[in-house]
Amino acid sequence: MSRTLISQAQLRRGRGKYLYWTLLAVVVVGFTLVFLGPLYWMVTGALKSGQEIAQTPPTLWPRDPQTQNYVDAWNNLDLAKLMFNTFYYAAGAVFFQLVFDTAAAYALSKLRPAFGNVILGLMLATLMIPAMVLIVPQYVTAIDLPIIHVNLLDSPWAIWLPLVANAFNIFLLKRFFDSIPEDLIAAAQVDGASPLRTLWSIILPMSRPILGVVSIFAVTAVWKDFLWPKLVMPSPETRTLSVGIYAFSGGTPQNVVIAASVIAAIPTVIIFLLFQRNIMSGLTTGSLKG
Amino acid sequence: MAIMTAPSAVTTTKAPPATVSKRGRKLRDNLTGHAFLIGAVVCFALFMWYPMIRGIVMSFQRTRRGETTWVGWDNYTRIIADPSFWIAWKNTFIFTIMALVVGYVLPFFVAILLNEFRHAKGYLRILVYLPVMLPPASALFLFKYYAYDPSDAGLFNAILKFLHLPTSEWMQSPTMTIPAMVIASTWMNMGSAVLIYLASLQNIPGELYEAAELDGAGIWRRIWSVTIPQTRLILALLAMLQIVATMQLFIEPLILANGAGTQDSATSVAYLIYQHGFFQNDLNGAAALGVIMLIVLAAFSAVYVRLTTKQD
Amino acid sequence: MSVPQYRKAAALALVAGLGLSLTACSTKSDDDGGTDAGGKVTITVDCQPVGAQKELLANWNADVAEFQKQNPDITIKSVSVGEQCNNPPDFTARLAGGTMTDVFYGYMTDLQQVLDSGQAMDITQYATKDTIPTWESVDPALKEVFTEEGKLYAVPVKNYSMGLVYNKALFKKAGLDTENPPKTWAEVRAAAKKISALGGGIAGYSEYSAGNTGGWHFTAMTYSQGGKILSEDGKKADFNTAQGKQVLQNLKDMRYGDNSMGSRQLLQWGDLLTNAGAGKVGMFIGAPDATQAIVSQFQGKYEDWAMGPMPGQDGPAKGTLGGGEGYFFKKDLTPEQVKAGLKWIAYQKLTPGKGQLDYVRAKPQNYPVGLPQPLLFTNGSEAQKQELELRKANANVDTANFKVFEDNPVPIVGEPRNAQAIYAVLDSAMSGVLTNPNANIDSLLKTAETKVNQLQAAGS
Repeated sequence: MSRTLISQAQLRRGRGKYLYWTLLAVVVVGFTLVFLGPLYWMVTGALKSGQEIAQTPPTLWPRDPQTQNYVDAWNNLDLAKLMFNTFYYAAGAVFFQLVFDTAAAYALSKLRPAFGNVILGLMLATLMIPAMVLIVPQYVTAIDLPIIHVNLLDSPWAIWLPLVANAFNIFLLKRFFDSIPEDLIAAAQVDGASPLRTLWSIILPMSRPILGVVSIFAVTAVWKDFLWPKLVMPSPETRTLSVGIYAFSGGTPQNVVIAASVIAAIPTVIIFLLFQRNIMSGLTTGSLKG
Repeated sequence: MAIMTAPSAVTTTKAPPATVSKRGRKLRDNLTGHAFLIGAVVCFALFMWYPMIRGIVMSFQRTRRGETTWVGWDNYTRIIADPSFWIAWKNTFIFTIMALVVGYVLPFFVAILLNEFRHAKGYLRILVYLPVMLPPASALFLFKYYAYDPSDAGLFNAILKFLHLPTSEWMQSPTMTIPAMVIASTWMNMGSAVLIYLASLQNIPGELYEAAELDGAGIWRRIWSVTIPQTRLILALLAMLQIVATMQLFIEPLILANGAGTQDSATSVAYLIYQHGFFQNDLNGAAALGVIMLIVLAAFSAVYVRLTTKQD
Repeated sequence: MSVPQYRKAAALALVAGLGLSLTACSTKSDDDGGTDAGGKVTITVDCQPVGAQKELLANWNADVAEFQKQNPDITIKSVSVGEQCNNPPDFTARLAGGTMTDVFYGYMTDLQQVLDSGQAMDITQYATKDTIPTWESVDPALKEVFTEEGKLYAVPVKNYSMGLVYNKALFKKAGLDTENPPKTWAEVRAAAKKISALGGGIAGYSEYSAGNTGGWHFTAMTYSQGGKILSEDGKKADFNTAQGKQVLQNLKDMRYGDNSMGSRQLLQWGDLLTNAGAGKVGMFIGAPDATQAIVSQFQGKYEDWAMGPMPGQDGPAKGTLGGGEGYFFKKDLTPEQVKAGLKWIAYQKLTPGKGQLDYVRAKPQNYPVGLPQPLLFTNGSEAQKQELELRKANANVDTANFKVFEDNPVPIVGEPRNAQAIYAVLDSAMSGVLTNPNANIDSLLKTAETKVNQLQAAGS
């Protein structure tokens, strides 16, 4: 463990030690209440009946657990389908962002074709444009793509392709590639390696951390996005979890909605717990240093 | 842009070794270069550059019964005359500022705190990140149905009552609407920021703290003169991302306040765009509002770039 | 993997990705003309019940099978669009995207929007006795709702009018007469006070104020006062009147004067019905099928619910809101497709003893038979008599619960033009009066008036 804000020696000494343990206890209890408490409320709340939920003061533990709420949520909402959709969109988003954005960043960083800087500038100009600003014209475009006149509604491409247009990823990747010494690439070129091979066998192996970061961002983007999938995935069969639960909420008892939310969170929590270390180390080494 | 003005990483750009047929090679290189770019460029063109132009064009048109006509500034005057227009901007700004104060500063200090602990680190880190795992709609329903229930059956009111503090009507109270949205939004989103801060804190060389301590700097002084400068780039970047994200405030009012809240207490600009476009069947008006938002953000980022470049 | 293979794989991935992105988007080309070589006609129809409505879904699927057996040259493809067949923003999105089904569900209030989108088909020449055997019996007033400039755009399949829905169990507990529901707003107020006095978070009277439903109910209550929402020509708001103010004043008195409306506000459709299903709502205004939703979706019980007429201010209501649903036809359908669609609607929606009017089948199921709707046929017409007889014979709810409602008919007033957009505006007036004890009714209505005037000016 390297030195941080406060030296370890200080924490081991009398008053420091006392303070450290008090603070740790307070934080552990506090955080458990703040972050785990609502989740406990969620899991048990979904077990209560409609009457019990409306009761004052609220009960800490359901008197008569209604597991039927969970069964209803799973069946009525077709949660399996929604989960599959969400993971499918996320996987596709990772794939296309990695392929296209890496290729583009590589071209801009190392191949530097004519007008490369103009293109980079145009891409970076979109960094400040939040999705909301363009939601209407983007939607109209997705309905009827210019020139080829294809309607992307209810097609996963409507989620994947717009996510490729991510200036932040390209910028991160390009910045990372920039820091890879030119000599390495020159050496590869002397050996007669094509640009594609240089990318594949020299650049990418060195870039694992940043690719990890881009993947994490891609998954988070799909997971957190709401309005865009709501608009471009109007059919119940193509909805994402978030949109599906929202659409479902209008005609369903509250406890069932909450039960659905609990079930929806389980796979992601498991995935996070499994890959926690990788995600953290990815973020740490992923050139996110100041 | 903060990042662009920051001292960039190693850029040892040597000219490639000259070869026999310079021109042919150059052409081929250009072609390969553009071949690598094409995928991203097509996506940018389709979903960024073209919609931007299309949005501006649409904002001066009106489509009715399949016929599109030019209407000049009509869409703009109509949008601005909407009694909700200024309220929506006011709400969005208040939310952005409150979210910045709470949702931006808080994770930084949480990260610093977590970074100091030698025990329970993994547990705390997982705790903070747990809410991020929930689909956003789920997290908000949790707040809406359980936490912010205005009767005494609600979780927050039950706690307040237990502590003998005054209860609140939360989303139904015009003054509490925005703070309540900030609380929910911070709770469900801060995990990502904490993780990113933690990652960048771990890259601060310990000697810097050592040296500062030898100079007699206290804890606050060390945060100010070591931690913040060392994480400056990531701080600036997240500030930017946070502002852009909060300006798009949408799902919180939609779910927590059923859209507008009470007398527009929750209406945000983004929600107004949605309302005009998809409730009032006025895509052109919504496009005009989008253009206005674009201009505001452009002005904001110009100021931001000016400020950050001056500092350097 | 050797190096050349590596490269190949990478190149393949790139090219495949690119090529796919440009071509594979076209996977959903839906328009195959609808008619194949063998003269078989295919149409897509939406508003198939969702999985949660198990019996309704099974009924629908059985109807499709039976219909296709009777009409071997027609194939029906059912599409489910969600819990609510028409959720305004999704409906708008589908219209804008042109992703509606060939035959698509809409509210009576949607005609303008559908016409504006340029997606509707004129079906005047096809809607006849040949395609819909009971067409002559269908109430002309309902046809009129879907007609503009002499052209018919949709076939009505449901019609309702609103009244006062009340919880008999709570009435009994509060010592109120369960057979004699309040008939004026003053009586509603008095009853609400008694019911909310039962405590336990029970709202004597509950009301919407979000998700367009607040505006919808404001309209219904304004009609009960004899007021209007729009001027005759439909160009100006006409609710900033004594009647409109009275509506909000009544609510304000109950909410803050008597505190008899519960503390949960900003309710939309499902929220109120969730509370009602949990036994926390004494009265609300709604259509007869609100009781169906309370039972089938929100865990309530039929025997608790009864219905009276819409209350008026000093006597019987001067009007009540009527609304309904129909099926539109997408433009560019072939004549064969339109005819096939009409036949399907005729079979599933407009034939006594079949489809939605198959009361024999519905009787043992958890869906009510005997509610005073759907009011599709003209009084005294052949179809109406048949339908009524079947309904009476197979009733599975106590028709007495709806007797007061049926015996006190109130003149039905249709929804305003551009209704959903207006309702969104009026939500704000409703939420104001229900969540702010100091709300100024005049300024609430003034703001709403300004907005609606703008809407109407922009819309025409």
